[in-house]
Amino acid sequence: MNETTKPGRSPRPSRFRLKSIFNALGLIVLAVIAIGWAIPMIWAMAVSAHPPDEPLSATNLWFGSRPTLENYATAFQIAPFAQYYLNTIIIVGGILVVQLITISLAGYAFARFEFRGQNVLFFLILLQLMVPASALIVPNYSTIRQLRLFDTLVAVMLPFFGSAFGTFLMRQTFKIIPRDLDDAAKMDGANWLQTLWHVYLPPARPAMTAFALSSISFHWNDFLWPLVVTNSTHSRPLTVGLAVFTQLGEIGAQWPLVTAGTVIVVGPLLLLFLIFQRQFIESFLHSGLK
Amino acid sequence: MLTRMARLPRSFLFPFALAALLIALAACAPAATPTPSTVTLTFYYPVAVPGPITQLIDGYITKFQQQNPSIKVNAVLSGGYGDTLTKIQTTIKGGGTPPDVAVLLSTDLYSLVDSNAVLPLDDNVKAAGGDSFLNDFYPAFLANSRYQGHIWSLPFQRSTPVLFYNKDLFKAAGLDPSKGPANFQEMVDAAKKLTKGDGSTWGLEISSDGIPYWLFQSFVIGNGTNVVGAGANKVTFDAPPTVQALQGFADLSTKYKVMPPGILQWANMPNDFVNGKAAMIWHSSGSLANILKQAKFDVGVSYTVGEKGYGAPTGGGNMYILKGIPADHQAAAWKFIQFMSSTDVQADWSTNTGYIAARQSAYTTQAMKDYIAKVPQAAVAPAGLKYAGAELATHNNAQIQKILGDAVQAVLTGKAAPADALKGAQQQADQVLAAFKD
Repeated sequence: MNETTKPGRSPRPSRFRLKSIFNALGLIVLAVIAIGWAIPMIWAMAVSAHPPDEPLSATNLWFGSRPTLENYATAFQIAPFAQYYLNTIIIVGGILVVQLITISLAGYAFARFEFRGQNVLFFLILLQLMVPASALIVPNYSTIRQLRLFDTLVAVMLPFFGSAFGTFLMRQTFKIIPRDLDDAAKMDGANWLQTLWHVYLPPARPAMTAFALSSISFHWNDFLWPLVVTNSTHSRPLTVGLAVFTQLGEIGAQWPLVTAGTVIVVGPLLLLFLIFQRQFIESFLHSGLK
Repeated sequence: MLTRMARLPRSFLFPFALAALLIALAACAPAATPTPSTVTLTFYYPVAVPGPITQLIDGYITKFQQQNPSIKVNAVLSGGYGDTLTKIQTTIKGGGTPPDVAVLLSTDLYSLVDSNAVLPLDDNVKAAGGDSFLNDFYPAFLANSRYQGHIWSLPFQRSTPVLFYNKDLFKAAGLDPSKGPANFQEMVDAAKKLTKGDGSTWGLEISSDGIPYWLFQSFVIGNGTNVVGAGANKVTFDAPPTVQALQGFADLSTKYKVMPPGILQWANMPNDFVNGKAAMIWHSSGSLANILKQAKFDVGVSYTVGEKGYGAPTGGGNMYILKGIPADHQAAAWKFIQFMSSTDVQADWSTNTGYIAARQSAYTTQAMKDYIAKVPQAAVAPAGLKYAGAELATHNNAQIQKILGDAVQAVLTGKAAPADALKGAQQQADQVLAAFKD
């Protein structure tokens, strides 16, 4: 490089150096942020292996003197996590499958069809984005009760089968797809379902992945609604099991036990993210979601 | 004009119809129908202490069902106290049948009566022996059970703040480790000797987050009064003894410098204590088992104090029978709460959880005597209930408790003087309570 560029004349070397300094600085900043976000999770994992009879202190904040699985054993003994896991997976998976069907159909209808009351309907759906889910607990409970679905897995899932956000997202995604592709499919004799399946859904995959991720993490963590509409172990999700550890207002937090419960609950979600990390990040980049 | 857009085809509805059908099918899960002679009770209980609470409750229920073959009890874990109340309120507002029995805060009494959610227990209590039945319960635990001449709840999982002290540090500082301080002045004197100037050990830590009004009540009751009187529509936040109590609380860190300044976290107190960072703490009696498990020194238990001596509020949950349940359920529900508050169950519940047994006779059972022989500190809190006053309970309870808690925090963080903060709190509380006659 020294032979091809004359120092002092060409701006290239200094610009190059400046750029690499900026890159390095950027990496450092990113690393600091990443570590900041990761610390609670790493700490939770470390403390979940902390012996329960050893107090946490400034000098003994991590594993303690001997890492142990005792807290996990206690956690599994206190709450039927196996059943809760199954329930959570059914609830989250069930909601997601139905949501993907309803939002792609609704999004397609709003993007490509014309029908009476279309704008009013779409406006109403958008309006739902402004209503916090907790404000609807009483009317939703009332509906579940009248449908005689109380204390079933369906009751936990039902209010979320439609998604205003998902419908909006799919509509916007479908609108970008060139209509010529649609017309071409029609010309080849495809009906609307085939058109949706072969023309609209493939390019919408990143948006659907992004939506799936936000749906899964929301419903995996939802606590109040499942608590209100269920009474028995066979219909309750993990978060309700976690409540046995986190609601210990009287005596203060038992951190080793709380963190063990937390790791049990979020562990699979974390694993899922690590496995599908690349797809998730790509989908977020494509769909412009944060 | 011809549009390029297609009309919505009818077949579009097909997937929705399919989804609806699936839901309908899923809903047809078989429901167990009990034989006509059995009554099935639903019992909501919150969890507020660690341990295998669900297993303990299930054990009591098995025993109860053996004694009462015609009654089945379906115990439902309902989160924390707040979640339990939300779940019940949602059920009532949504037109459903509430649980038959629920454990809720003793201080929820007025809110529950105001919303017409609970049944009075007078007739049942009378049939069970009236005063002779009630007299076995610690009177302090019944303080938030009576209203408008009725009795509304029986104590189940109760506690009170106590003073934990490090006997080893007491000895090292030349203090008598056999007893804790008897009043505010003694506590300050001891704390001064225990505090190391470098911040490695504080003489005293009293939490002021979470439910700041609760420990503050200890100061007030120790001053010979309380923040709430006989009526549920009146509080005495700006009375001179209350102001004096708050001044004392603030002085601990500002004037005497024996306590770290600012808001101290409730959850950190036991940790600071077992690590030797705090020589004395005020905390729930329910923390005893956890503290004993972790402390590597001799733990002393004494009472929280005010200027005039010992004083503490009570805390914890009572059992209520809810309105809107069938008559045969009411009778069964009474049997159940009688069983759950019985001497033997309370003794077992206390030794396993750290709650104070609600009945005095529980402390004469062999199980309890064996436990106290092993953990003598567990006998301290029940013996101190004679110094206890009612926990702050009024109409619109949560709001009033928050008003007082905010005032306490404002003073401890140096944002307001005690007299001003409490005067403001009194005005706010008066406004909230103006609508209530008694």
